[in-house]
Amino acid sequence: MRPSINPLVSGGGRTYNCAMPSLASIVTQLRQALEAENVLSAQSEMLVYECDGFTIEKNSPDIVVFPRNTEDVSRIVKICSAAGVPFLPRGAGTSLAGGCLPVGGGVMIVLTRMKEIVEINLRDRYAIVQPGVVNVWLTNALKGTGYHYAPDPSSQGACTIGGNVATNSGGPHTLKYGVTVNHVLGVEAVLADGRIVRIGGPAEDPLGLDLAGAIVGSEGTLAIVTKVWVRLTRNPQGYRTMLGVFESCDDATNAISEIIAAGIVPAALEMMDQGILVAVEAAFHFGFPLDAQAILLIEVDGLEAGLDEQRDKIIALCKKCNAREVRQAVGDKERQKLWKARKQAFGAIGRLSPSYCTQDGVVPRTQIPHILRKITEIAARYELRVVNVFHAGDGNIHPILLFDERDAAQVQRVLVASNEILNECLNCGGSVTGEHGIGVEKIHFMHKMFTGSDLAAMGNLRAAFNPLGNLSPKKLLPTAGSCGLEQKHPGRRAAL
Amino acid sequence: MADLPIKTTLAPADQAELAAAVAEAYGVGSAIYPIGGGTSLDFGLPAKTPGSGLSLAGLNRIVDYPARDMTVTVESGVTMKSLSDLLAKEGQRLPLGVPLAEKATVGGMVATNWNGPMRYGCGTVRDYVIGISAVDGRGMAFKGGGRVVKNVAGYDFCKLLTGSLGTLGIVTQVTFKVRPLLEQFTLMACAVQSTRQAEKLLAALVNSATTPAAIELLSGPVWDAEPALKTLAGASGPEKLYLVVGLEGSATEVEWMIGRMHDEWCQQGVEAPITIGDAADFWKKLVDFPTVGNAPLVLKASVVPSGVTRFIDALRALDPQASIQSHAGNGIVIARLSTFPKEGLSRALVGNLQPAAALQHGSLMVLSNPSGNEMTHQSAWGGLDAPFTLMSAVKQKFDPKNILNPGRFVYV
Repeated sequence: MRPSINPLVSGGGRTYNCAMPSLASIVTQLRQALEAENVLSAQSEMLVYECDGFTIEKNSPDIVVFPRNTEDVSRIVKICSAAGVPFLPRGAGTSLAGGCLPVGGGVMIVLTRMKEIVEINLRDRYAIVQPGVVNVWLTNALKGTGYHYAPDPSSQGACTIGGNVATNSGGPHTLKYGVTVNHVLGVEAVLADGRIVRIGGPAEDPLGLDLAGAIVGSEGTLAIVTKVWVRLTRNPQGYRTMLGVFESCDDATNAISEIIAAGIVPAALEMMDQGILVAVEAAFHFGFPLDAQAILLIEVDGLEAGLDEQRDKIIALCKKCNAREVRQAVGDKERQKLWKARKQAFGAIGRLSPSYCTQDGVVPRTQIPHILRKITEIAARYELRVVNVFHAGDGNIHPILLFDERDAAQVQRVLVASNEILNECLNCGGSVTGEHGIGVEKIHFMHKMFTGSDLAAMGNLRAAFNPLGNLSPKKLLPTAGSCGLEQKHPGRRAAL
Repeated sequence: MADLPIKTTLAPADQAELAAAVAEAYGVGSAIYPIGGGTSLDFGLPAKTPGSGLSLAGLNRIVDYPARDMTVTVESGVTMKSLSDLLAKEGQRLPLGVPLAEKATVGGMVATNWNGPMRYGCGTVRDYVIGISAVDGRGMAFKGGGRVVKNVAGYDFCKLLTGSLGTLGIVTQVTFKVRPLLEQFTLMACAVQSTRQAEKLLAALVNSATTPAAIELLSGPVWDAEPALKTLAGASGPEKLYLVVGLEGSATEVEWMIGRMHDEWCQQGVEAPITIGDAADFWKKLVDFPTVGNAPLVLKASVVPSGVTRFIDALRALDPQASIQSHAGNGIVIARLSTFPKEGLSRALVGNLQPAAALQHGSLMVLSNPSGNEMTHQSAWGGLDAPFTLMSAVKQKFDPKNILNPGRFVYV
């Protein structure tokens, strides 16, 4: 039995300080503050919470709590804060960069029981949701209203809106409609000292600093969001969904570049290469051409009056880039099937390899042909198999490196190759993460993307919100003298 | 235009010189007032602490414009007009609708989070800024974001600095994502009998089959005298308002929307809607409205869209001669008052219009008060329930000696 709860510690290890309140005393306080069944502390119950979709580093929390409302969260935070123990929020745990890894243990605040859609207001085009609402629940609740919530990460069937807010989630349709932050009007949040604040709300342009904008994407390190005002988007009148079939990856990536440069803003523009096509076809039997080197999934939406014109332009541009054919999805059923195949592509990878690891780099869109060639070259050099399925229109790549984790040498090559790919994204003027986040996974890249003073400014922002650093410590920013957790194992990871 | 309490104006040639100037001011704790095009110096509370101006005119370079990537990086002293001319050459645009574009700068627009009528269809500044560089109150240069359209690495300084009035850092460089210029733009308008009828039409527009880029509700003497609206029939008297929608897209789309909007309005009982002949000219008037003229007081309210007409009722009760423009699809109401409130600013705002805005889930701010009379924190920024304490904690970290635009913004 553990003698006491962890104070703030470095790295993933634990140190114990006898001056800290005992674990039992914190559990007692939490059980008094909440109902007893909302507090878990048995070690056997902690396993589920030791990691999120980033499974390389694991660490158990000491206590898991399930608040039912904002006041519960505030009470929990006050108890943790007074005891000086680390605490952090968690949604469905689908994030991919270790954003909800409980570094140093402590109290994990699981928000999945705060799952109410509080209000849907179509006249004013907003909804208020609690953080535990699963993304697709809101989509379902809006069916038939003529409105939808635009951010649609591929994990939308499982991920929560609170988690989407924490990571500023994207998804295929963010090319035209923007990512989560573009759809958040305001938040209610609990600060690191337990204070409840409301920032923004149903009206636009709230007074003062855009702190809601700063909290979105802060990976749970600035505040714990307990309520979100999201903007609702009118459904488009129609869609044209096309499948461009290409004989080479170069032709496909050139077509992406041509479409964007022609001033067409598709609702989505996704690419799958042959490697992933084979797996997706085996899983979904859509009828993808297996001999094609790459396909583009292109969707335009908007007024019916303008769609055929846009479709024809896209077909002409694909043909100009040597597309073998461009098919159009017929009817909504076929469209849904195509999107299902795309969104569940990662689930099909199990057919290709026992393990895989994906990256989330971004390049300027004209650099997509270059980065894809570079990925092929890097894969060949390290004798690795890489397949690609990604948000091409945004320049957000998701190369999937396939490997067998029993082969230690291969595992090492995967790590080195992954780093090379991300470094090349930076060389192209891009970013190491488009939507998955920094978490603990990519902390060692932060000093490559940002200068010391950039990071100092980020540290200043964190200090204003989270002065003691006990809200989700050791995330997102490298701490002095450390470059984050050293990655020893690429693990199995899904992507969006 | 308000005068700043400055004797000298520094004019750095680049970010390094700017950072050095701020570092020097930090050393002696002397106030710095960043100046772009000087079009928004009335914004916020009048500056009182003596200090130096800091002109951004020297930071006027186009840093990078990879048109095929649809991004552009410019220094903050570049004017909005020269930026839009540059983009237009490549068939692109930044659809933000900034008034006095010949003078207004990129930095000023970002610092004041200035958004025009197009925000309904095209979004606001925060949707376009993907990278930002600034110098904090110690003279430390820092940046956030980058040059790619999708990027979640690090804290989002693009959002934090947009609308911060240069109080956390002086913006030196901005990267925007841009959009294609569209083939056609047109404005349709109709007269509206009352605010009650206006709300009916606005509520119907939310479900329109068309996709307006702008929804403007106008009232008052400025619009009654407007030649473009003169031919509108169907309403008269002091209650009269005008509803204007901006439609843009391909020629086919716009043509379809004009027909459809006409039908929808007629079904709602609107008489004889018109398509405005010189859309570009009238559009400029819509964009410039908040900043032109000699109004003794210009206010901006942000309320829920369904609260716009009720807030206009409150404004008209206070000043029946006020000229009003509402970006009604977004709940923004801008009013140029005809006279300075006789009962005093405090009574008119704190006692009347701020609660009226709060009742519609929003807030009120003063855009311009050239007299500077009665400009207290409460009258300029109101909204006591806003998290000003937390904002002040952020300010303290970025500008510990409070030298950047002191006394003008929301901090307590």
